[in-house]
Amino acid sequence: MTTRDRLVLAVVAALAVLGAFWVLLVSPQRKTANKLSSEVSAASAQLATVKGEAANALVAQQRYSAAYSSVVSLGKAVPPSEEVPSLIYQLAQASNRKNVEFSSITAGASGATTPSPSSAATPATAPAGFTQMPFTFVFNGGFSDLYHLFLQLNKATVRTTSGGLRVSGRLLTLQGVKLEPAAETASGPSGAQKLTGTITATAYVLPATQSLTGGATASSPTTATAPASSATSSATSSSTSAPAATVEPLR
Amino acid sequence: MKAVNLIPSDERRRGASVGAGRSQGVAYVVLGTLAGVALLVLLYGVARHHVSSRRSQLATISAETQREHEAVSALTPYTSFIALREARMKAVADVVDSRFDWAHAFHELGRVLPRDASITSLDGTVGASGSTSGSSSSSSTPAPAGSATPAGSVPTITLGGCAGSQSEVALTLQRLRLIDGVSDVSLKSSATGGSSGSSSISAKQCAPKSPSFSVQITFDPLPAAPEAASGPSAQLTASTGAGQ
Repeated sequence: MTTRDRLVLAVVAALAVLGAFWVLLVSPQRKTANKLSSEVSAASAQLATVKGEAANALVAQQRYSAAYSSVVSLGKAVPPSEEVPSLIYQLAQASNRKNVEFSSITAGASGATTPSPSSAATPATAPAGFTQMPFTFVFNGGFSDLYHLFLQLNKATVRTTSGGLRVSGRLLTLQGVKLEPAAETASGPSGAQKLTGTITATAYVLPATQSLTGGATASSPTTATAPASSATSSATSSSTSAPAATVEPLR
Repeated sequence: MKAVNLIPSDERRRGASVGAGRSQGVAYVVLGTLAGVALLVLLYGVARHHVSSRRSQLATISAETQREHEAVSALTPYTSFIALREARMKAVADVVDSRFDWAHAFHELGRVLPRDASITSLDGTVGASGSTSGSSSSSSTPAPAGSATPAGSVPTITLGGCAGSQSEVALTLQRLRLIDGVSDVSLKSSATGGSSGSSSISAKQCAPKSPSFSVQITFDPLPAAPEAASGPSAQLTASTGAGQ
């Protein structure tokens, strides 16, 4: 073996040692470090997401009482049960206020006007929506009085300028209005001819699968402290006399 | 005198590789190997340090994530209730937005009707969508959940009335077109008393020489609920106010 051969052999041996060191020790550690780095990045992103959820949950907790009262307020517009007495009371109040005679109310869309396809004699649940309760109301009064009555009925639940809802009574959708001279052709106080207004309208109730607050109480969103029915009844019992409530978006 | 090289012949052969010394370069190889090993050891140490620090970092993040998860789970009823409230509010708002404003239509009717024309009967309905309108975009939008008058429904009013003359009927038609939101006004009939088309109830209520008319007013289709008002990100609260 010549000197050159020995030198080449030594160089090859040195490179082999270094290569083995790299392959067996350094490279796996670097790979593990890189893998852990990506895991840390993913975990950090997940943590950020969960922190956001936690922040939202905290905000939800802080806003719970306001949200509860607004859900109860919305229950005046769309109660969990038919609440026909409160509807009649509301119509009577509105007609008294506008010098209109509240003549009759009939469940189901049996009025003379053509109902929409969704109207039916029995309540029908729209998919993922409220259960519809068609009614036919008959009022007697002058044109102006009836105009004000319609205004009043619409005002029971209206949008506010800020995008919220102002709820003071049942939510009604008037689908048909028919005005014709009253049978006795009497005249109102102002001398205007009395008209008979037949209104085909739809009131709404929550689907049977939903309660008003989902079992939540004023103090807690869980069902443990009070049954759903008690929250429901306490909320809806106020629908006949409670003041108007405004449901507003948060600032 | 003959010159004599005093350096031994072996030494003279080795002298050709300058600096190789006695080890003939192997020493350099050993030194290079040691330097390489030192560098690799350094890299290995750094990598190990990274691994251990990342592991501890990962453990810390995992623990914190677990804590946050528990906090979120504990507050889930609150977030669910807020979601329920938003869904309820959106559903009510959709129905409110999809209603036809009859009071406004009546107000407009009273505003535009000529002095010598009178109404004897009025029959208004919110009918099925798209029957007379050309606005396909409105009728193609999804209807609000549960609304009795979904977006795209076309409100129509059929008016029966009396006018002083046929030209007053024409004026009435023109004026009715001025009503806010009207898309079409079409005459169904206009006949003076005693003529063939005057057998309706409204005709009987008109003066003998006054024509009774029947007009159909078609309004624009009901619009879809505005998206901005029903966005999922809306955070909502409530406050009670005085009754009206």
